[in-house]
Amino acid sequence: MNTRIPVASSLLLAVVLAVSGCGSSEPAAPVAATNDHGNAEGGHAEGEGEESEEGRVHLTPAQIEAAGIGLATVGPASIRETLSVYGSIAPNAERVRDVSARFAGVISSVDKKIGDAVRQGETLATVESNESLRTYAVTAPLAGVITERSANAGEQTGDRKLFTVADLSTVWVELSLFPRDRARVQVGQPVRVRSADSGLSADGRVVYVAPFGSSASQTLTARVQLANPERRWAPGLYVSADVVLSESPAPLTIRNEAIQIMEGQSSIFVEEEPGEFVPYPVQLGRSDGEVTEILRGLQAGQRYATVNSFILKAQMGAGSAEHGH
Amino acid sequence: MIDAILKMSIARRWIVMALVLFVAGIGVWNYQRLPIDAVPDITNVQVQINTAAPGYSPLEVEQRITYPVETAISGLPHIEYTRSLSRYGLSQVTVIFQDGTDLYFARNLVNERLQQVRGQLPEGIDAEMGPIATGLGEIFQYTVHAAADARQADGRPYDATALRTLQDWVIRPQLRHVPGVTEVNTIGGFEKQFHVTPDPAKLLAYGLTFDSIVKALEVNNGNVGAGYIERNGEQYLIRAPGQLSDLTAIEGVIVAHRDGLPITVRDIAEVSYGKQLRTGAATRDGEEAVLGTAVMLVGENSRTVSKAIADKLAAVNKTLPQGVSADPVYDRTVLVERTIQTVQKNLFEGAILVIVVLLLMLGNGWAALLTAAVIPISMLMLMTSMVQTKVSANLMSLGALDFGLIVDGAVIIVENCIVLLAARQHHLGRLLTTSERLETVYRATREVFTPSLVSVLVVILVNLPILALTGVEGKMFRPMAMTVIMALLAALVLSLTFVPAAVALLLRGRIQEKENRAIAAVKRIYAPVLATAIHLRVAFVAGAVLLVLACGWLASRMGSEFIPSLDEGDLAVQALRIPGTSLSQSLEMQFQIEKAVMKVPEVRTFFSRVGTAEVATDPMPPNISDGYVMLKDHKDWPDPKKPKAEVVAQIEQALEGLPGNAYEISQPIQLRFNELISGVRSDLGIKVYGDDLDELLKTGNAIAKLLNGIQGAEGVKVEQAAGLPVLSIEANRAALYRYGLNMRDVQDVLAAATGGAEAGLLFEGDKRFSLVVRLPEIQRSNLDALGRLPIALPAGGYVPMGEIATLSIAPGPNQISRENGKRRLVVSANVRDRDLGSFVAEAREVIDANIELPPGYWLAYGGTFEQLQSASERLGLLVPVTLGMIFALLLLTFGSAKDAALVFSGVPLALTGGVIALWLRDIPLSITAGVGFITLSGVAVLTGVILVSAIREQLDRGVDIDSAIREGAMLRLRPILMVALVAALGFLPMALNTSTGAEVQRPLATVVIGGIISATLLTLLVLPGLYRMAWRPSREALNSTATLQESST
Repeated sequence: MNTRIPVASSLLLAVVLAVSGCGSSEPAAPVAATNDHGNAEGGHAEGEGEESEEGRVHLTPAQIEAAGIGLATVGPASIRETLSVYGSIAPNAERVRDVSARFAGVISSVDKKIGDAVRQGETLATVESNESLRTYAVTAPLAGVITERSANAGEQTGDRKLFTVADLSTVWVELSLFPRDRARVQVGQPVRVRSADSGLSADGRVVYVAPFGSSASQTLTARVQLANPERRWAPGLYVSADVVLSESPAPLTIRNEAIQIMEGQSSIFVEEEPGEFVPYPVQLGRSDGEVTEILRGLQAGQRYATVNSFILKAQMGAGSAEHGH
Repeated sequence: MIDAILKMSIARRWIVMALVLFVAGIGVWNYQRLPIDAVPDITNVQVQINTAAPGYSPLEVEQRITYPVETAISGLPHIEYTRSLSRYGLSQVTVIFQDGTDLYFARNLVNERLQQVRGQLPEGIDAEMGPIATGLGEIFQYTVHAAADARQADGRPYDATALRTLQDWVIRPQLRHVPGVTEVNTIGGFEKQFHVTPDPAKLLAYGLTFDSIVKALEVNNGNVGAGYIERNGEQYLIRAPGQLSDLTAIEGVIVAHRDGLPITVRDIAEVSYGKQLRTGAATRDGEEAVLGTAVMLVGENSRTVSKAIADKLAAVNKTLPQGVSADPVYDRTVLVERTIQTVQKNLFEGAILVIVVLLLMLGNGWAALLTAAVIPISMLMLMTSMVQTKVSANLMSLGALDFGLIVDGAVIIVENCIVLLAARQHHLGRLLTTSERLETVYRATREVFTPSLVSVLVVILVNLPILALTGVEGKMFRPMAMTVIMALLAALVLSLTFVPAAVALLLRGRIQEKENRAIAAVKRIYAPVLATAIHLRVAFVAGAVLLVLACGWLASRMGSEFIPSLDEGDLAVQALRIPGTSLSQSLEMQFQIEKAVMKVPEVRTFFSRVGTAEVATDPMPPNISDGYVMLKDHKDWPDPKKPKAEVVAQIEQALEGLPGNAYEISQPIQLRFNELISGVRSDLGIKVYGDDLDELLKTGNAIAKLLNGIQGAEGVKVEQAAGLPVLSIEANRAALYRYGLNMRDVQDVLAAATGGAEAGLLFEGDKRFSLVVRLPEIQRSNLDALGRLPIALPAGGYVPMGEIATLSIAPGPNQISRENGKRRLVVSANVRDRDLGSFVAEAREVIDANIELPPGYWLAYGGTFEQLQSASERLGLLVPVTLGMIFALLLLTFGSAKDAALVFSGVPLALTGGVIALWLRDIPLSITAGVGFITLSGVAVLTGVILVSAIREQLDRGVDIDSAIREGAMLRLRPILMVALVAALGFLPMALNTSTGAEVQRPLATVVIGGIISATLLTLLVLPGLYRMAWRPSREALNSTATLQESST
């Protein structure tokens, strides 16, 4: 039992003393009955204890291996900072043409259906002019696909639109930018676009950032132009996109798995001596999925713990870990 | 009255024998019903109320669950105090009732209040009472695992989920019905779940939300009964089945229509078997495991129950699929049997020794036999009374029994009967007539009954202070004192009835009072020594006083412990990591620990629980694991003679190599007790009560700093109330307003996305599995992805989570402890090399002077020092009272204060031998040793009374004092030696045994044996001298009494 009550001794002493009538002191230093491990018992109180031991972890090579702690060196790396946004595919508005009859008349024949690919100048329909009664061809103003058709043989053309031809060899990706990200996205930044099921992906560049926004959704539109030679980016699809905000070398970087939070401060465990780790509080800069820039706190060439650096944090706190009921 | 009983038992001896037989029969029957365990149950009367609150952080748990439950419970009768713990996903309120409260009554009270509070708890959250069990309840544990080549019905290998399913639906239901089992707790593996993991981008594309999927699943998953119709005289039941049955069915559920096209679950989400968000896991030998723990109903017989479970498990194993088995890893029977075997062996060998001694010294077979018969009969009577008083049989309760002590009374009576019968036969020169024989037996019994009555009463009296102990010590030692008292009372009754009756029946023929050679030899040596002792009495007495003083000094130098801990044979290794360590990280570290420890060749298996089991009897956070190291049988060790301590050291060394863990090594039952009692376990616990957690922590740290400055403080710790990393996603109200969202909309999306939303159940036979809608794992654990989580706007469109909420990681409360309805933080400290009382006083003073508490905050001082104080107070009052009573008893017996004091003086003299014996064997003082001293004082008084009454008899006959002392001492040499020998030999096996459990009894036996040697020697050598000094010719009487009192008060 952990409870260390010298009742036994008091009882015995009470008997002995009461009988023999002589005074004595309490028995000293009762011993805990359990063979508790020293580490767990002699924990450090918050912030107290031996100064030399505080704030560093010493591990033997065997321990480092057992814990699977990885090491790396602080050094330069290129950081690719990205922003993920959602958007949808729209036709390239500059490459969409509405086709109507030049001279009103009766449609005598229609040659193309919705979805047909057409070359520039290809005949879409023939119309007999009401005035001249001559038949003339309505032709495609640009190469593309028929996306709308409201013309059937025998109909009067009037002023209405007969066809819409869209050139889908390029499409626009309309990305919604929320206020927080507006300032970071600029024309010219590369963008990787992925379809919702991640089956497709393509690279493009931001070609336009709208100067005004929508009050309903509080968003701005950024536009990416994508080549679409195989016509796989169908307008209307939802996509997600990663905008590369910056890609630049940073002089001091560390791997992300090295970052541990110690007392509310991001810290890196630096190996000062072999097997001797000390947490260095650092100020973090830009980061991508793998590396993070160090603004302050480390120098190039320092060795630090990467994978399983948590073990080091755990080891530092091990003294004060308790069951806590 | 005693005369009447004696006369009647002798006259109606056949009836007495029949009655004895009957009582013995009842004892045999009761023996079957006696709960047997290895150690006494020290759990207090407590009711645990566990509430699982998946997803709730400590603060919310406290606010919305713990507080209402606590409030509802408060004011129940017989409550000692309540304490509570609010952790991630779990609220545990423990209600501790006063000792002696009926557990079922207490549970009823609690249950009634729980019914009332149910309405106030958040929807879907239910408070439940823990199993009806105590700390000894976890009697059987097993792991479920599959052979590497075993395959499920669909050809996949068995994984943790499949094994858990078997445990939940095949093994557990069967074990739960074993009589005496109140709960089968499961930890480890994953509960099988069906997971629908929608892709947020696709949801956006279709303008759908988590909620719409959940709703669609809910309304497409149900069977309906629609009454019946009658047709052509037949009755047809109508049902409309519509339950989802498998993954494909779930995929086909239509969530919405767009442009006339159905959008099914398949289009927007992955559907798969998933893993629950678990709070605990189990490992064995370095691998993930499923661990079942059978919990015994309170008051059951652990041996019977765990045997029944083992049998049932063997039967269940036959029904498990090929290659899958449930292996017992911990079986309490083993320990109980080993312990009980030790006790039985000790008692049996003790009994044999006693019988042999009787045979040798009495020289009469019948007499020895009938004296020895007192042993089993009084044991059987003891069984009956133990069942009646609900004292369980275990190492402690049976540990203080000494057959020598039990038969002492009978020995004296039988011895005297033989002496008188032989004398009378010798005197008359013929066999005695029946009436003469009966008359002689009566006279012989009556003559020595007083000493044996007095000695029994003395032992009972000295045991009384033990009965007054409370708390853990009380639970530990009260049963011990009670069995001793009950056994002695039984023996007393027997020596008043059975013994004379049996003597009257059996000792018919020619009785020869053979002075056997040993006795004769001793007498020859004793006579001159006695003469010297009387002659040099002053020197002898002074030597004795010196000896007492020296031993008192020696005792104060000796180490002490609470009780020697029972070696359970196995080890418990608790590994502790810093708060916030994730379950999977903890598991990884545990795997390594197990693999390292398994390399120790003596280890049979190592299994652990990490975090909290399904029934949260032990609310461990995921950063802690309870490991059980089961050792092989000693004979299977590479070196069977290797001490266990060495194995422990080897294990410690293996653990040392693994950084990041702190360890506490104890033993399974010990560990469980500590968890359950778990008040403040240090010497001093300062509790800070108040409202604000930060303020509490600040005060706590300040106090810790002060305590560290006080001399003698060691291991000062502040409760780890903080330090759990919390990701807070706080929505910005202005942003919500701009988008027309409610706080709730955001919270619901988040809860569903990371925690998962329950969307009904799937049935497979009688198994049922949850259907959960949740974010895919990759996105759940990615902070960026969480920030991008789209939230649908009422007007259409969406906004990412990060736009309207700030995500921040900061340490938050790890756990919130409360006591008696108020938040509480404990600062604990142990005290070394200093007297506890003065340390506490100084701590109070320093804290009062330096700590300024905000209004509404207060301090309380607790810890073991409290128990020590109350125990010391009780003992301080009771021990003198008891001693007074013993003195009064002796006074009544002798009618002379001087004689009473003389007999009394034997007590300190007897203690010296005990102290020396302990010192020689290097055993520290403990309560068990203390109990030995108590027994000892009884024996010392007994021999003293025999001697003094013999001397007085001689004096009454008008012999002068010197020869009266000499004659009396010579005359009573045999009974005194016999009493001492049987008492000492009865304990000899106990003192020397080394098997399981022996370590608990060893100190007691050592004390008694050592003490009896000294008591006997001193009774025979010092007491005559003392007597001579006290009763010197009357004019000097005044002086001598003064000397006497000096040495005896």
